[in-house]
Amino acid sequence: MATTADSNSNALVMSDISKAFPGVQALDNANLVVADREIHGLVGENGAGKSTIIKVLAGIYEADHGSVWVANEQLEQLTPQSVHERGVRFIHQELSLVPYFNVTESVFMAQEKQGVFGLATRKMRRQAEDFLANILGAEIDGRTLIRDLTVAQQKLVQIARALIDGQARLVVFDEPTAVLGAADINTLFGNIRELRNSGISIVYVSHYLSEITEICNRVTVFRNGVDVDTIHLGEEQVNGAGNVVSGAANGSVRQAEIIKLMVGREITDMYPESQATPANTVLEVDGLSDGIRFVDASFSVRAGEIVGLTGIIGSGREALVDSIYGQRRVSKGTLAVAGKPIKLRSPAQAVSAGLVLVPRDRRNDGLVLDMSVADNVNVATLEMVSSKLGWHRRQQAAQRADQLVEQLDVRPRRSDTIVRFLSGGNQQKVVLARWLTTDSKVFVLDQPTTGVDVGARSEIYALVAQLAAGGAGVLMSSNDLAEVLGICDRVLVMVRGRIVAERETSGLALDELVALTTGSALEGVEGVAS
Amino acid sequence: MTAVAPAPAPPSGSPPPPSGSADMAAQVARRVLYFAISRGPLVVFAALLVYLSLESEFFLEWRNIKSILRQSAPDAILASGLAVVVMAGGDDVVVGGIDISIPAAATMGVGLIADQLVGGTPLFWAYLLGALAILGVGVVNAFLVVYVKLTPLLATLATLVASVGMYKWAINNRRITVLENDFVNEVRDGDFLGLPIPALITLGTLVLVGGIAHRTRFGIRMQAVGGNRSAAEIAGLRPGGYVAASFILASFCGVIASIVLISRGSGISPGIEERLLVDMVLATFVGAAFSPRRVVTVPGAVAGAILVKALGNGFQLIQVDLFQIGMIKGVLILVVVASSALVGRLRQ
Repeated sequence: MATTADSNSNALVMSDISKAFPGVQALDNANLVVADREIHGLVGENGAGKSTIIKVLAGIYEADHGSVWVANEQLEQLTPQSVHERGVRFIHQELSLVPYFNVTESVFMAQEKQGVFGLATRKMRRQAEDFLANILGAEIDGRTLIRDLTVAQQKLVQIARALIDGQARLVVFDEPTAVLGAADINTLFGNIRELRNSGISIVYVSHYLSEITEICNRVTVFRNGVDVDTIHLGEEQVNGAGNVVSGAANGSVRQAEIIKLMVGREITDMYPESQATPANTVLEVDGLSDGIRFVDASFSVRAGEIVGLTGIIGSGREALVDSIYGQRRVSKGTLAVAGKPIKLRSPAQAVSAGLVLVPRDRRNDGLVLDMSVADNVNVATLEMVSSKLGWHRRQQAAQRADQLVEQLDVRPRRSDTIVRFLSGGNQQKVVLARWLTTDSKVFVLDQPTTGVDVGARSEIYALVAQLAAGGAGVLMSSNDLAEVLGICDRVLVMVRGRIVAERETSGLALDELVALTTGSALEGVEGVAS
Repeated sequence: MTAVAPAPAPPSGSPPPPSGSADMAAQVARRVLYFAISRGPLVVFAALLVYLSLESEFFLEWRNIKSILRQSAPDAILASGLAVVVMAGGDDVVVGGIDISIPAAATMGVGLIADQLVGGTPLFWAYLLGALAILGVGVVNAFLVVYVKLTPLLATLATLVASVGMYKWAINNRRITVLENDFVNEVRDGDFLGLPIPALITLGTLVLVGGIAHRTRFGIRMQAVGGNRSAAEIAGLRPGGYVAASFILASFCGVIASIVLISRGSGISPGIEERLLVDMVLATFVGAAFSPRRVVTVPGAVAGAILVKALGNGFQLIQVDLFQIGMIKGVLILVVVASSALVGRLRQ
């Protein structure tokens, strides 16, 4: 472990970094130290601050406080340009490519080579092809368009773009495997190790703990904006047989340790008591696939029950929710609401079948921000405040909205407030209010507490419990595992496009659930079986 | 390098690719559909050209082709400008790159030049004044879109209306005829190396503007900004500058177009900007069907302009009513735009 602890040879030191957003302290004197020639993992639950610190490093966010050294040189002002000049490169999670550019243009985007007569197209193409073939082991024609490549190949193009100028010293991989299949992941790991061996330091951000313990030399765990610990995972060593023995040999032990550090908190009493007396099935999903993001999803939700659906980025959870609501096409499978099979082609059909959605992106999909609370509340149920001929009864609409605002404690308690000016929690209440008085049988809540402060959260939980107690079935998709445990009766866990586990939440510990979502628990099971 | 520890085999693989013969058939059907839709407009245009050449012997005569090239020059030059704006802003007509003010600005320039020439201003100064006015519109567009952050459609609609109002007021909304000006006449009637001068000016625009947009570092970056703005930003580019430059380049095309327009009309006839606008937009987006990547390009726009003009010319030769030609053009716009929308949907 000599190489990793030596403070004189650090590729990156970020110390005492603080960053606050309105209502949230995203980073609170956080530190991240990456040694030369190491693969350094960065893990933490959603909202722990890992993407924030990466964005501070990238010059996208300006830190409120703290200092950053790259290769022992302090950077006063972090801008995308200044960190790029110091050899820091980012492989972003989303494939930041132009679909109709070819491979050469993409690799050399913003770093084109100029010849005597305009662009040195042929030279760039040769370099891009050579780099992909020799360094990344992929034979790709430089003239192929990005949209004709596989996702894995697109990832390689991204990597080639970061490294082609030969100046890279520190490369940050942000969830690189979220879009990849198993074989591609192995290839990618080979590439990352090669990079490390060639003298480049790596920061590897991932939710998959099995990946962290396999590939990383050390890992820093973030929780609530603070780095709670940095653990050595051991060095790779070549054993007598010439094979590399990595730190992953005792991976599962290490994963448990990491999970404990990630979780490290109590579930508070912000959650209402479960009063589930599940009755008949109201939502039956059978063998649903979209052929791309998820396959063979089967589960049911009964009246009076709150079922959680969780899974990290790339698990297919969001796509599944979209499909259940008719926003995304499915290739296979069936869906029934209250025993009646329905073929979903649009959200309007879902609503009329008695299935309603509280969308994850409430600002874009859930609300008309420049309309009043009353208009937003009534928009889905205008027939309740209209005459038979479709004439809008303003007074009745306002009354109904006032009642709901009162009931849900939306603040300010005025139904003529423009929704844009409400806080996140109150906006979410408005979205919920819209569906409360409908006789919907199934509520799909998609990350209902994202960006909602703690006080409003517990009120939303109470509302959700109230919905279930009123006889509705609730499917709550969430990546906040404590929330899932606190409010749900059962939880479905998705990993890489499949529902891999279904558990009762009573008696399920948070670290068990973390292990399930990160795939490490299941890996253990498979390990025993093999 | 082989690792002893097992690979982090995910608990279960990614969703398998679709298999089975039914899926195969579906895939083949999809490909055929994709081809039919993406190449559909070209097939329709080609069929129309064949039909016209069969109906009229004169259609493919060199004399007529020269006339088509001469007539299509202003459209081709304006469409080159629009192509640049679309490339830098993305091909979403509502929130992406669009500049509907180029024909109006060019017409305003024509009005100014004609007015000055008739009033006795020397040639150079008259053309310079016109050029500055047109470029001014480009600068205003760039400012409105990049700094004020208006959507390009609204910003250029505003400058379109303002440009038209300004020139109609300045020339009292009447026709101004420029007679006996050698330069104007030469550009209208002259040939060089067997090609009409307007066609050569088109070629020059294609080489210059197309070269900038497709063969330079600046151009490739501009396309990156239009293709994926966040990707361009992440790569360290500042999108605003490229978008601004695209509007100014477009107004530069307006300047060149004004030189051809004043000659073709021997002055100015108020209202010519309306037909120019329709043909410019049509040519630019028809041109996308010519590009191997199915995106808007400068050469595509030039080819599109010539094709659209050839069709109009052909229909006139076989004595189709002028208003009917307008109708046919409308349908063709629909075919092209619907095709690109459907191609976008199929790709998802």
